[in-house]
Amino acid sequence: MAQIPVQTIHRDPQLFYWILLPITIVMVLTGILRHYATVMLATAPKKLDQKTMREQRWLMHGINLRGNYHVLSKRSFNTRRDALTAAFESGAYLKNPENRGQAPPNPLSDPSAMDGMMGMMKNQMAMIIPNTLIMSWINAFFSGYVIMKLPFPLTIKFKSMLQAGVATRDMDPRWMSSISWYFLCIFGLQSVFNFLLGSDNAASQMAQQMNQMGSQGTPQMFGPGVDPDKQFRAEAENLAVIEHYSVLDDVETRLLEGIRA
Amino acid sequence: MPTEKDYQISPVVQESIAHNSRTLFNYQSLTASLFGVCAGILGLESYAGFLFYIIATLSTCFLFYALRVAPTSIPAGKAPLDTSRYFRGAFEFWTSGLSGGLAGFILTWTLFYGLVRA
Repeated sequence: MAQIPVQTIHRDPQLFYWILLPITIVMVLTGILRHYATVMLATAPKKLDQKTMREQRWLMHGINLRGNYHVLSKRSFNTRRDALTAAFESGAYLKNPENRGQAPPNPLSDPSAMDGMMGMMKNQMAMIIPNTLIMSWINAFFSGYVIMKLPFPLTIKFKSMLQAGVATRDMDPRWMSSISWYFLCIFGLQSVFNFLLGSDNAASQMAQQMNQMGSQGTPQMFGPGVDPDKQFRAEAENLAVIEHYSVLDDVETRLLEGIRA
Repeated sequence: MPTEKDYQISPVVQESIAHNSRTLFNYQSLTASLFGVCAGILGLESYAGFLFYIIATLSTCFLFYALRVAPTSIPAGKAPLDTSRYFRGAFEFWTSGLSGGLAGFILTWTLFYGLVRA
């Protein structure tokens, strides 16, 4: 079997200074810029009036009671549960008690809902605009150059992606053009940003997309279009079905076993 | 396997676990990039490079365990190589770095391979 000769391409070393380095620096700087733009564009959460705050805090109270009932004794848990269930079912903590039973208002017509959408729009814009600009910048200036060789072999399918703008039929797909270095930077610079900006940065669009995927799974808790009365009723039901036990039940036997051992 | 009640008797604080995992992730993404530099300078190709990455990441995991986790977790009565005192799952502790740092590794590997060899 004949050994396939390794393709070598002689490239001008100036390619490094005029293509590779500029793209990398621009990518890093764009990430940093995006991080600070996100920090600056972030709007402070709007102040809630007292009624709304009360509604949300009582719901949180019910949820916390449900999650941590095991640290309470039976009697104090029962007292809390009775008080909360009665209040939830009578609607004592609702913001607008007269609106009970009506359909929730349309979230699109609610002015408070627009803030959240504006925030999302801003984030999307902060991602789309620099990406489009850099893509067209690279395409305009650097298309058609082969700048690097990947250290691992790839199948022929990757050729059209890695060598966009280089129409050569027999070239090994390991050679990559400048646009694929751009894609590699998008995926790989996250660790650089972690190092530069701290781990909860907003520099990389990949991490932000992951976050958006995650948050779509959980429903909004206090968003517009959610009926608080229904939430209260559901919470009262959840509290009612809890079978209470305390961590202090038969603590004395555990203590004695611990001493004996 | 601890039951729900065991967790309630000796609770694990979520914030601390999240902080520990984030520390581990930062450390691993940084070392992954440095391993990419190493692999590129050494001129490793294809399987050798990925093997280098896996071995190096696992050994940093082990170092992290030996230097940061073991000194307090073994006197606390945990078995050796048991990370449950500070982390949620053992599998997560030993393998999370492999997927998290791979992109950074490939980036720096390609860059330095391109600069030094090709």
